[in-house]
Amino acid sequence: MGKVKIKRKSTLIDMTAMSDVTVLLLTFFMLTSTFLAKEPVTVITPASVSEIKVPTSNVASILVSPEGKVFMSVLGEADIDSNDESWSSEGVRKIALLSAASKYEEVTGKKTGITQADAEKFAKIGAFGVRLDKMHEFLALDQSKQDEFMGDPANADAGIPLTDIVYQNADGGTEKTNEFQIWMRAFYNSGNGNLQDAMKKGEGIAVKADRGTNYSTLHQILDNLQTIKMNRFSVMTALKTEND
Amino acid sequence: MAQIEQSDGGKKKKGAQKKMAIHVDFTPMVDMNMLLITFFMLCTTMIKSQTLNISLPSNEKIENEEQQSKAKNSEAITLILTTERDANGNVKSDAEGRPMNTIYYYEGKPFIDDADKDGRIDVSPDGYGILRAEKFLGNTPEGEQGIRKILHNKNKDALAQIDEQKALWREKKITDEEFQKKAKEIRNDSTLTRPVVIIKATPEASWESVITALDEMQINQISRYQIDNINQVDSALILDYLLKNPKK
Repeated sequence: MGKVKIKRKSTLIDMTAMSDVTVLLLTFFMLTSTFLAKEPVTVITPASVSEIKVPTSNVASILVSPEGKVFMSVLGEADIDSNDESWSSEGVRKIALLSAASKYEEVTGKKTGITQADAEKFAKIGAFGVRLDKMHEFLALDQSKQDEFMGDPANADAGIPLTDIVYQNADGGTEKTNEFQIWMRAFYNSGNGNLQDAMKKGEGIAVKADRGTNYSTLHQILDNLQTIKMNRFSVMTALKTEND
Repeated sequence: MAQIEQSDGGKKKKGAQKKMAIHVDFTPMVDMNMLLITFFMLCTTMIKSQTLNISLPSNEKIENEEQQSKAKNSEAITLILTTERDANGNVKSDAEGRPMNTIYYYEGKPFIDDADKDGRIDVSPDGYGILRAEKFLGNTPEGEQGIRKILHNKNKDALAQIDEQKALWREKKITDEEFQKKAKEIRNDSTLTRPVVIIKATPEASWESVITALDEMQINQISRYQIDNINQVDSALILDYLLKNPKK
């Protein structure tokens, strides 16, 4: 009997097709992706049947941590017609910081020490939550230290304080405000007309909070929004069906 | 595929170079692509989160009270939300995994008379103003459950009309826009008996319960509702309810 010869086949697998598929997938993910914005605290938003999408620009968001700390961020959009650079997110932040700082100095009489260089740095920041008198120190830190600063639940300086600042107005009467209100007004008056319109209509203000957060914590925020006549706003939710 | 085959037609010429099949190994390329895909998959948010629009009444008190007194007993319903929490402040869940939210509600004005002086609130003679408790249960095949059933019954006139329109829309007899317009008209039709809902929340109520309550307004097509602050009468009613119905 003759020996049956087993043919030796090459074990090389042709990867070209595989490569084609992966490149296609990669292209798909690259084109559809919107990156997760980094947030100082992670919250799970409550579910709702509302199907209105979150705007990607011209929105001031208020993030409330379960402990009641307030963080804010603002997104603008450069207008095609006006071609005004100050309308972009960075421009809005820059102007907002300077106007918030000057308002803060006016009502408290304290110096914040915020410089133009600080404003340039602030323009690059996403969500923030720092007392205005610590802002200068905060902006001098490098990025990972900043995240640590805001993410530490034990840090009393993190979060925008809602404590009342009582001051004398031009007519000699006393008025109350707080840093949260100063910031909201600063965003509103940052000179970006689209942002102002969106905030007026309510879609430009987004409140984001964890589902388990006490209503008393949120109530403070809602109260403050009411005080500055921003009665219309939107709340970030996840999607659910009617049957749940 | 990855090799370029070069056939030599016929006889080899003398001095011709030896032709080789060129193989390109794509394995590292695939490796790298897979890594990139993994990166993009982990960093992307495919589902954008949704928003729910809220408009609060302006905080001038007078307007608020006027509005409340205007609403008829049969139309007004007040919801008071509470959430049960454990010692650490985390929301407790029941056996089915639902967060333990309770909705106390009363129709019309709160009834707090205690004529027989037994320290408990009497039963209201006309049935209005009695505090009851419900839960968020959603829908089952049998229909609406829990607080949704109560709100549904309150707004049944408008809902019946909207359902008619919805049926037309499902059969594609009217367009989406027409349906939305009609639904809005029905929601705001003052000839129908429509409820006025006042949503209140205790300090320990979870944010989720507030959003779920607002959601119920959307589901039940209720156009008149507002968020209000809890007052002493409401707290007294809840205390009285808990005394009458002690927890097991």
